[in-house]
Amino acid sequence: MSAAPNGASADGARTNGATPVQVKAGRHREASLYHALAGAGAGDGRTLAQLREAALRAYEDSELPVWRRSGFWSTSLQSLDLDALETSVQEHGVPEVVSRTLPDRPRAGRIVQSAGAVVQVELNEALAERGVILCSLEQAFEQHGELVSEWYCKRLPIDRHKLEAANAAFWTGGAFLYVPQGVVVEEPFEIVYAIDRPGVAQYGRTLVLGGPTSEFRVHEYDLAEDFEGQALHAGAFELYLQDGARCRLAQFQDWGSGEVYDSSTRFVGVGRDAYCHWLPALLGGHLVRQHLELAVMEKGGDMAFRGLFFTEEHEHLDVFAVDLHETGPSGGDVHWRGTATGESRASFEGLIQIDPGAQQTHTYLQIHTMMLSPKARVDAIPSVLVSADDVSASHGGTVGELDETAIFYMQTRGLDRPAAVRVIVEGFFEPLVAELQDEALEQLVRDRVQEKLAAAREDIEAYAISR
Amino acid sequence: MADLEIKDLHVRTDEREILRGVDLEINRGEIHALMGPNGSGKSTLANTLLGHPAYEITEGSIVFKGEDITEAEPHERAKAGLFLAFQYPVSIPGVSVANFLRMAINAKRDEPIQVKEFRTQLQHAIELLDVDKAFTSRHLNDGFSGGEKKRAEILQMAMLAPDIAILDETDSGLDIDALRTVAEGVQRLHDEQGLGALIITHYQRILHYVKPEFVHILMDGKIVLEGGVELVERLEREGYDQIRQEFGGQPELAA
Repeated sequence: MSAAPNGASADGARTNGATPVQVKAGRHREASLYHALAGAGAGDGRTLAQLREAALRAYEDSELPVWRRSGFWSTSLQSLDLDALETSVQEHGVPEVVSRTLPDRPRAGRIVQSAGAVVQVELNEALAERGVILCSLEQAFEQHGELVSEWYCKRLPIDRHKLEAANAAFWTGGAFLYVPQGVVVEEPFEIVYAIDRPGVAQYGRTLVLGGPTSEFRVHEYDLAEDFEGQALHAGAFELYLQDGARCRLAQFQDWGSGEVYDSSTRFVGVGRDAYCHWLPALLGGHLVRQHLELAVMEKGGDMAFRGLFFTEEHEHLDVFAVDLHETGPSGGDVHWRGTATGESRASFEGLIQIDPGAQQTHTYLQIHTMMLSPKARVDAIPSVLVSADDVSASHGGTVGELDETAIFYMQTRGLDRPAAVRVIVEGFFEPLVAELQDEALEQLVRDRVQEKLAAAREDIEAYAISR
Repeated sequence: MADLEIKDLHVRTDEREILRGVDLEINRGEIHALMGPNGSGKSTLANTLLGHPAYEITEGSIVFKGEDITEAEPHERAKAGLFLAFQYPVSIPGVSVANFLRMAINAKRDEPIQVKEFRTQLQHAIELLDVDKAFTSRHLNDGFSGGEKKRAEILQMAMLAPDIAILDETDSGLDIDALRTVAEGVQRLHDEQGLGALIITHYQRILHYVKPEFVHILMDGKIVLEGGVELVERLEREGYDQIRQEFGGQPELAA
């Protein structure tokens, strides 16, 4: 599996880490960030210590980022009081929010990080005997240094903005999962990041490797207690699938009602004839910025990139999702759905990028949104950048409101208005939820959507009257 | 007192008065036909009876089983035993016919229906309406053909077992086989469960399969003529214009 650089880009997104990019507040305009993480990441043979050092310099030289979204609005992390936060590595026990939220179900393994420390690791013994590794990333560097160093930061940069640099410089704990060649695992590996109190800066770092023809599931949970005060999760996630590997990756994110900031970069690289189904369910967080990238890196790779989001109250969500094709033939299928209540704002920017030489790529991006509140706002911005001529790439989408005719229809069957709204919104998300193909996780997502609807009941009523 | 009593009903929508004093009485076990030309107010009456928010009742009342429901919410009317089969059934993506039926049945009950009981009822309704079992696992009306939508309406009616059903032009757009299935379904629910029905139609053809005992002709927001099944035959011979001339309808108001 190679990571041949593909087309240098105009600015720091394709740095090799040697020269940190100067990042000034307000300069992170869309135009300069609007491209994939094409090319090599920061891991270019440097040691972990060297990478941390380079990231530290970038951290010190930069301000908290602001993303200006031309014609729309800004995502600013400058209201975060970063100096007041601490990265605690002394943690005891699994936070209650984890035991409360995660379904009680068979699993292949579980790793839990609370604040800055890994507090639980368990792995099915039979899998361990077959060479599966699940441990903290710190431990992985100590015990499997060669393997980890080969892949760490293979495609992730470390210096595009202050929080990315902070993660690369300061991460502790972390998660490492390796599924060796030919190992097929039915039950999910659970990777959990939890914040149980304000004042925490959590730098989550995950590396997952799927060996040739391995098959497995990863369920990530990002959870926080409902608290008052600020906390930060700055995350970096990378997953690489080697020849013929298949992975179903799901993420259940609910940072609760506290003032939790989440700025994360996630990269999934699909190797030759490999396949990844990736579905983040972004269901809560004060201010969430996600840079998500699913890349077909070698011939025959295929992917399904799904996602759903539901913002409420004053939450702010900014998703930049890339369907990247570096070579062909390759397949892609991006399908996101989102809604918003209260005075929340959500922006989904979806990009299909087909690099030169990625011939015979076929991909499609669709984004559907539904308005549930007069003061909420959802923007969906699809883009297609194609540099090959024998491809098909298109996008589509819908912007919907609650259909009063459908509500009346259901009322004439005896459902009251809130029940009818529930049916509509559940039906709106259902095509994606059903794709999780995991009953316990599906139910968790459905329940969370219902909770959010129940909380927004008055809001939804008011919207109906205002129309 | 009749089960459903509509008295002097005046209804406005979009600043226009559509119904201008409708009186109608329907009992369980009775099949009524309401006929009239386009724009006479038939669908307005249907929607108003179930409480559609776009229709404002300015005068008159609707009493159902002794309760004044003029101001009731649509779901309260449904729970009381009224049903509306839509002219244009709405698709509900993401929800299967079976799941929707279960929700609707449970909405009328204190305790959720037992799985076994639900299955038995569903099986019975499926046979009655000559639909495929796979039909009930499809998303409600989503991608359904016109005929499938109307069958789904009657399937819901059979499962919810209302006292009185209003069928708003259920016959429109149906081929003859679908029409027969739908009509026979209504007739059997009448015969087996004592369903009362108000069949709203523009045409006569559904009435070849369901026999109404009472026929009402609506024109320009008023019922101008009432009688038995012989009225249908008369309409077939003479058309609405003849009746309009006779009973002083106001063609200029018909939209």
